[in-house]
Order: sequence, then structure tokens, then C-alpha cells
Amino acid sequence: MEYSLVGESLKFMILGMLIVFVFLYVLVEVMKLQAKIISKYFPEKEIPVSTSASSTTDTDEEARRTAAIIAAVTEFRKKK
Amino acid sequence: MKLKHLILSLLFAFAALTSTVQASEGHEAAASVPAAQTQNAAKVYEEKSVGQLIVSFFKTTGLNAIINPKEGVKNGEGKNISLFAQSWGRVLMFAIIFLLFYLAIAKGFEPLLLLPIAFGGLLANIPIANMTGPHGMLGIIYNMGIANEFFPLLIFMGVGAMTDFGPLLSNPKTALLGGAAQFGIFGSLVGAAALSQYTGMVDFTLKQSAAISIIGGADGPTSIFIASALAPELLGAIAVAAYSYMALVPVIQPPIMRALTNPEERKIVMKTTRKVNPLEKLIFPLVVIMMIALILPDAAPLMGAFALGNFAKESGVVDRLSNEMQNSLINIVTIFLGLGVGSKLQSDTFLVAESLGIMVIGLLAFSAGTAAGVLMGKLMNRFSKEPINPLIGAAGVSAVPMAARVVSKVGSEEKPGNILLMHAMGPNVAGVIGSAVAAGVLLSIFK
Repeated sequence: MEYSLVGESLKFMILGMLIVFVFLYVLVEVMKLQAKIISKYFPEKEIPVSTSASSTTDTDEEARRTAAIIAAVTEFRKKK
Repeated sequence: MKLKHLILSLLFAFAALTSTVQASEGHEAAASVPAAQTQNAAKVYEEKSVGQLIVSFFKTTGLNAIINPKEGVKNGEGKNISLFAQSWGRVLMFAIIFLLFYLAIAKGFEPLLLLPIAFGGLLANIPIANMTGPHGMLGIIYNMGIANEFFPLLIFMGVGAMTDFGPLLSNPKTALLGGAAQFGIFGSLVGAAALSQYTGMVDFTLKQSAAISIIGGADGPTSIFIASALAPELLGAIAVAAYSYMALVPVIQPPIMRALTNPEERKIVMKTTRKVNPLEKLIFPLVVIMMIALILPDAAPLMGAFALGNFAKESGVVDRLSNEMQNSLINIVTIFLGLGVGSKLQSDTFLVAESLGIMVIGLLAFSAGTAAGVLMGKLMNRFSKEPINPLIGAAGVSAVPMAARVVSKVGSEEKPGNILLMHAMGPNVAGVIGSAVAAGVLLSIFK
């Protein structure tokens, strides 16, 4: 054997971890940058909450919906 | 008795052969039948008694092949199989395969892959049938998509289409945790090298060590991709180790996570993540591809397939394609991938000391990756303005989404109501990118 296996693999480790971190670090910075650019120039349009929908629903419908939500939540908690 | 029969039948065959050859030469010299053909015809049928038929049938049974192993029997790749591998080796492999079935079905260990892998192994160990040969079913599947590293890429495409980068984009710096966990790969690379240099128990080359160490990436397709590129002879053991340990993430990780953190750290509540603009998600796969193109083209096949899947999903206009990648395509490929990998579970290639070594190193790789991720989490918590729960570092070892779920479970055990799942998904998906990058580095070294 001309080279030491462990020696070579230690070098691989240094190179590998270095590249992985450099890559991910650059990725982090790019992500931050694109978030900044996008939030500045292409802000997400606020979806207007339609108030008309709630006014048309009668109280009966509202009550039934609440009951359904409560039932779903209790079912979910039971499963846990 | 037997010998007499044999000699007699040989004599008859010879006589028949010579007479037909003479006849053909004498009567129709113009349309001379090739000698080889007549020889075949003579071989195909000769008169046999019922006793002879039974004896010759017994010789074609697997039972005979297992009881009376012969020298010079070749496996799918044309290498000789040792007598042990033909007889007890096969029996032992059947036992191992039934254990895998048990783990997949009764214990729920990654059944989607372990079951087809084990079944492929079952078929591969059938004597005489030679299913792993170039014309056998398993051999065809293997050469179709694993020898050329194609199937893992298709799986990666589906994984990409299922991955949501939202949690990572909302808290970018957690990506570094996914990087730290790749220490599992390189740490176990050194471990594999040390094992073969100092103990002499196994004898891994550098390439083989690299292929084994990728188990630490905790990413099935990446492991298979690298193994078939660098050390196809170890593919079976590497894939089985990778998938078994991925299934064991909930068992392996929590003790390491608890040992390296104190209760205060585990109780840390992280800030709720911000909402991510869909445009960010859409651009992200393109950003990753541009970075791969500039920094590490060797990872392009893996990340290319991954980014394509993710881009198709986030674009929102090709739901049909994205659904296909996430469902039918990945399912079909999973069947083939499993069977093809299973074809490497033949007794002669699997029952070697190396397989045991791979199992040990794989466990080491998972543990080292988890530990490095948690330690990096502690480090980042110390220097970051916002609190970071070090537990989420453990999710850096890909294994999406199992590792993130384990983090959330350990976190909520310490402090009920502290949901870390979304925070852990960030390092989790970054771990996928990280292990693909590590894989690219290993490939680039051995080019």
C-alpha cells in the first residue's frame, strides 16, 4: 500500500465537510437575499378576507360548523 | 451402476451423432446441416427409462444443488460460487431474508423498500434458476436501472416533488445543521478506513470505504447511487444497512440526543416561522441547480432530478406531472429498485465479513451524524440571537421526515406543547441537499 488509508480518508473528510459547509452557507446567504428581494419587489398580495360570506351564513350554519370543528379536534386529541 | 449407464448413453449418443453426420454428408451435401445442430438434436433426446428420468430430474432440483454443491457453478456475473455459498450459504441467506420479511411486515421497518429487497434476495438465492444472470429477471432489472444508477435518480425526482422547502426558506440558517450532520458520512469514512487498516478484520479499499460511509447520509437513493458507482459488489449490504438504520432512527437517535443536551436546552421554544412567499419556493430549486452547476457539477444528476421534482410541484401548473412523480412513478421504480438491489443479496456476495463491517460502520455513521448535528445546534444556539433548540440538529441526517418527527417527539416529551416539527423540517430537507453535496464530493474525488 503506497498511501495510508486513514490519512487519505482524513483528507477527504476535511475537503468534504468544507465543501458541504461552504455550499450550504452560500445557500443560506442566497436564501436570505432572495427573501429580501422578493419581499421588496414582489410582495405577496394580501388575499382580502371576504366579509360577505360570513354575513350570508345564518347562525344555524355557524353553530354546526363550530360543532364539527370541536368534534374534529377532540377526535384528533384522542388519537394522540 | 451409474457410471455404466452414463458410459452407455454416451456411446449411444456418439453413435447416433456419427451416423447422422455421415448420412447428411452422403445424401445432401449441398444443404449440409451444421454439425453443431445435429449434435444439439442428439443431445435433446435420447431414450430413457422412468428410473433414469427420475434421476435426471432430481439432478435439476434445487434440493440436489443445495445438498451436493459442485465446483465451477457460476453466479450471474460469471464468477465461481464457493461450495459453502452454494449449500449452507443459501440456507443462511433464506433465514436472513425471512428475518427481513419479519422486520418489514411485523415491525414496519421501511416495508416499502425492505419487502421488495428481501424478495429480490429470495429469488436471487434460488439455485440453478440463475435469475441474476444477464437473462434472468433480476439481472435484467439490475442492468436496466441500477448498474447505470438510473432508478435512484427517479426516486429522487419523486422525493423532490414531495419535499416542501417552506420551513427551510423561513429560517435559512438551520441549513447549516443539515451540513453538520454530514459528519456522519465523513466520520464513518475514516472509521471504515481505520477498520481495514488497523484491525485487518475487513479489507476495504478507499472507494469501498467511501461507498459505505454514504450510509451516514441516511438517504436511501443517494446510498444506492453512490454504491453502484463506487462499489457495486457491496451494494446489497449497503442498501440493507441504510434502509434498516433509517427505520431504526426512532431507536438510535433519542439516546444520543438526550446524552448531548441538558433539559433546559431541550425545553427551548423556537420562534414561530414566518410565512414564505410562494415565489421564493418556486425560485429555490433553480437557485440550487445554479449553485450545483457552478460549484459541484458531480452532484448534478442527484440534485437535477430532485430540483425537477420540486420545481414541477412548486410551479403549480403541472400538477399532473408532479402527481405522477410523487405517486405512480416512484411506486413503480420502488418495485424495480427493491428487486434490483435484492439481486445483490446472493449468498456468495453477501455472506462475507465485509457485510458485518458495513453494518457496524452504518450504525456508527448514523450516530456520528446525529451527534454532530446536535452539537452544531448547541453551538448555533450560543451565538444566535434567536433561540435554537439543539434537538433540531439531529434532523440534519436527512431520513425525511422520520428524523424530524423524532425531534418533535423528544422535544414534546421534555416540554409538552413544544412543537418542533416545522423547525426540524428545515435541517431535515437541508440534510438531503447536504448528503447529495457530500455524494458529489466523493464522486469527484474518484473521477
